[in-house]
Amino acid sequence: MFEHILSSMIFLPIVAGLILLLTPVTKNCARAIGLVISVAVLVLGLKLYAGFIGNGGMEFVEKCTLIPSLGIDYTLGVDGISLLILMTAVVLFPSIFLIFTTKTKGYYGNLLIVQGAMAGAVCAGDLILFYIFWEVMLLPIFFMIGLYGGQGKVPATLKITLYTIAGSLLMLVAIFYLGVAFHNQFGIWSFNIATMAGLKLHGTMAILAFAGFMLAFAIKIPLFPFHTWLPDAYTEGPAAATFVLSAIMAKIGVYAVIRFVIPIFGAEFTRYALVLAYLGVIGMMYCGFAAIAQKDYKRLLAFSSASHMGIIALGLFCLNIQALTGSLFQIVAHATSTGALFLFAGILEERMKTRKISDLGGIASKAPVFAMFFAIAMLASVGLPGTSGFIGEFLIILGAIKFNVVIGVLAGTSLIIGVCYMLWMFQRVFFEKSNERTATFKDLSSAEVLAFLPILILIIVMGIYPQPFIQKIEPAAKIQLSSILHDTQVADINALPKGTNLEK
Amino acid sequence: MTRDFLLLLPLLIIGAGAILLMLRSAFGKMALETASLVCMCIFGLAFIAQIFTGTVGLVSPFSSVFKGMLMVTDFTRVADLIILACGFFTAMSSRSYFKENKFGTEEYYSLIAFATFGMLLLTLSRELMTAFISLEVMSLSIYILVGFNRRCLTCAEAVLKYLMLGAFTGAFFTMGTALIYGGLNSTRFEVIGGAIAAHGFLQSPALVGGAFFIIFAFLFKVAAFPFHAWVVDVYDGASIPVTGFMATALKTAVFAIFANFLMLDPGLKGSWVTYLFYISILTMFGGNLIAIGQSTIKRMLAASGIVHTGYLLIALVAVSSEHFSGSVILYYLAAYSVSTLGIFAALSYLSGTGETRSQFEDFKGLAKSRPYSAAAITIFLLSMAGIPPTAGFMGKLYVITSAIQAGQVTLAVLGIVSSILSVWYYLRLIIFMYFHEAHESFESECTVFGPACTLILAVAVFAISLYPIAL
Repeated sequence: MFEHILSSMIFLPIVAGLILLLTPVTKNCARAIGLVISVAVLVLGLKLYAGFIGNGGMEFVEKCTLIPSLGIDYTLGVDGISLLILMTAVVLFPSIFLIFTTKTKGYYGNLLIVQGAMAGAVCAGDLILFYIFWEVMLLPIFFMIGLYGGQGKVPATLKITLYTIAGSLLMLVAIFYLGVAFHNQFGIWSFNIATMAGLKLHGTMAILAFAGFMLAFAIKIPLFPFHTWLPDAYTEGPAAATFVLSAIMAKIGVYAVIRFVIPIFGAEFTRYALVLAYLGVIGMMYCGFAAIAQKDYKRLLAFSSASHMGIIALGLFCLNIQALTGSLFQIVAHATSTGALFLFAGILEERMKTRKISDLGGIASKAPVFAMFFAIAMLASVGLPGTSGFIGEFLIILGAIKFNVVIGVLAGTSLIIGVCYMLWMFQRVFFEKSNERTATFKDLSSAEVLAFLPILILIIVMGIYPQPFIQKIEPAAKIQLSSILHDTQVADINALPKGTNLEK
Repeated sequence: MTRDFLLLLPLLIIGAGAILLMLRSAFGKMALETASLVCMCIFGLAFIAQIFTGTVGLVSPFSSVFKGMLMVTDFTRVADLIILACGFFTAMSSRSYFKENKFGTEEYYSLIAFATFGMLLLTLSRELMTAFISLEVMSLSIYILVGFNRRCLTCAEAVLKYLMLGAFTGAFFTMGTALIYGGLNSTRFEVIGGAIAAHGFLQSPALVGGAFFIIFAFLFKVAAFPFHAWVVDVYDGASIPVTGFMATALKTAVFAIFANFLMLDPGLKGSWVTYLFYISILTMFGGNLIAIGQSTIKRMLAASGIVHTGYLLIALVAVSSEHFSGSVILYYLAAYSVSTLGIFAALSYLSGTGETRSQFEDFKGLAKSRPYSAAAITIFLLSMAGIPPTAGFMGKLYVITSAIQAGQVTLAVLGIVSSILSVWYYLRLIIFMYFHEAHESFESECTVFGPACTLILAVAVFAISLYPIAL
């Protein structure tokens, strides 16, 4: 199992999930299996993390040929960036099984499948293999929202599925085009990402292929104006699905831009970076304003998540190492804070049977632990210094100002919007007077506290001592950027995180 | 001579079986159940014989039979395997269908075998008269099968439509044959190919006219735009297993002969590529437009069959006639046949007595009452939509890659756009099955055959998608 550690991390959950779906096991048994498998994957992940050297290259590579006639390989491997997202996923997953104890076996089975498929998408070193996992990870989400979602689940399911499939099918054409172009240039078939970087593309076809990739990832992230599926899917989806979507799946979109678009379409990426950066900023502001107006706390969190994904996307498009490092750091920060917020929202919805902010109030006095946990996650989400959210956003805005002052200023300003809606919502839900609905609110059980504690500790540790994380991220970020950046702005980055520490 | 007969062994088994079944049923000596078993045995036997003649090294990849009238190639071998498998599973699911609908006679199975005989012969023929005869053998059996349920009004409508238009097609084909014979004094493919290579395709008006009529006949049979209008009504009227059989085996056979004819010479294909390009685009989008508006599953599947014809035409446009292997077309046909047959097999026992459950709404909550059947249907639909890791995805991968390789990037992109559209109506059925509450229990007193058939085909969807890996 340890020789094929990545394969085990991918297929252990998928196989377990399929078994759960196909056999008539009881709910509790399904949950127990899910918990055991996700903990097993966590152990494997920790083993992986311990064995990871971090020199910027691919490690734990597994390779075997799948379809020789088309050069499609089963290639897996992790570098700093994929490890980061993989670890975020494996650390966060067991908590779902701890928190949601009363769901059906389909719920747990689908969660396991999505976990495996996401690990596959992050580790895949072959474009076709990546595409397969990319599509497979959508299916469980489709079923989860449709089966266990709220009132408007069917339109929400359709929206997210059609949107995402449309994007990814266009990416599929682009992948095929790359394969054929590679065959025409080098005379052999290959879809391997490492070799693909050597491809020379130009002209209209290159821009179209670039657009095919970017569209798929822009929908997944989601980047403005492709975000319209998000509020519905996040709001109507069951808590675990929303959690998976916001905390990890959106990040895979960001990851895919770094992994596929930057090395292969360096020139096109640089050319359109400014436009894309503006889209990121517009998304931040637009979704921020939209969040202020929401009456439904889950919908508010959905817009907030979209707004913060805008800043992560912005970090990608700034073309410098600070912003990219910040983005990668923010990926983890956002996953922990927003992921936790959606889990809290799920708990709130389950106990209060409402999603309306106006129905709630005074929860802090009934459930101090819950309120405190929520506050920590919320403050990390708005980027308070001392929490993980601050480091990432600071780095991104720094990079953005270097890239383009207007964008930097806009991005910095729009963070204030985030503070507005979050604090206002917190006030209305947790303070003010309690009513007969909230009077019965029970505080978190010890199992739930146990599930949330690691996430909250991570938020604070990452905020106070970010250095070890940045060390893991940086080499890979540099290598990814080296293809488009010829002047290496590496000298000042080493000083930067320390500076941020001093500031606090 | 012995070699010729050995090569045709599968064909002979099916032919003999068809006659045997017909005679036995004429004397009324056989129960319906026995007839279906015998029919399945015949198909199974022929399938094994086909594999046997392929692997034993009996022949080189191209072997002419009966002095070039027929030709057995690797292409036809695989096409025949697909057709035989379609026949087998049709016979299997028909058994449940008849049990559920309480009608059916023994001749049905004999007609399936006769139709298959025509299809097999069609794939092998290298001569226009043989092709015409086999086309008619196939079509006549299918006409009867379509109108097999005599008490059903839509069946009568379907058979009338199909018969009238099919007769036109037959006339077109004969007309084309006559013109080509008039121009070249031969109906043999190699002579036609040689003449085109020697003088060019556009030099002989008779040849151009003849090819025009013949290709139109083929386009009609595969339901390509603008000859697709009959499909929805005919598929809707026919009994479910017959529809499945028509949608898969017939399409495979006609595409095989279509490819064989088009690959006669680069000149012929070259002058048709532009037209086929537009036809395939219109077929895909026309099919999608029709499918999106349908409210019954059978009509939706019929229209989605048009869309898949469009993809197959892409493959046909993209294959090069110099080194024609046809593997892309065959793979797509196999992937498409498995999922289409699978869904019709599932419908044959789920749609209730007299096909009362036909609307999307009627399948609300199927997943709650019959989770395994719903899961199988989902697999088939996902395969048709081309979602990995199903066979449909691999089929699409091959088709699109070969299109891009042939320089037809526009066609590849439009193909994908059309498959985005198609996701909508496939998902719609999944949504009805899973995300709505059940109103009924979907009980059926069917035999084990229908569900077993569905199960095998669901496994086959994944088996076929993994097949390229095993190579």
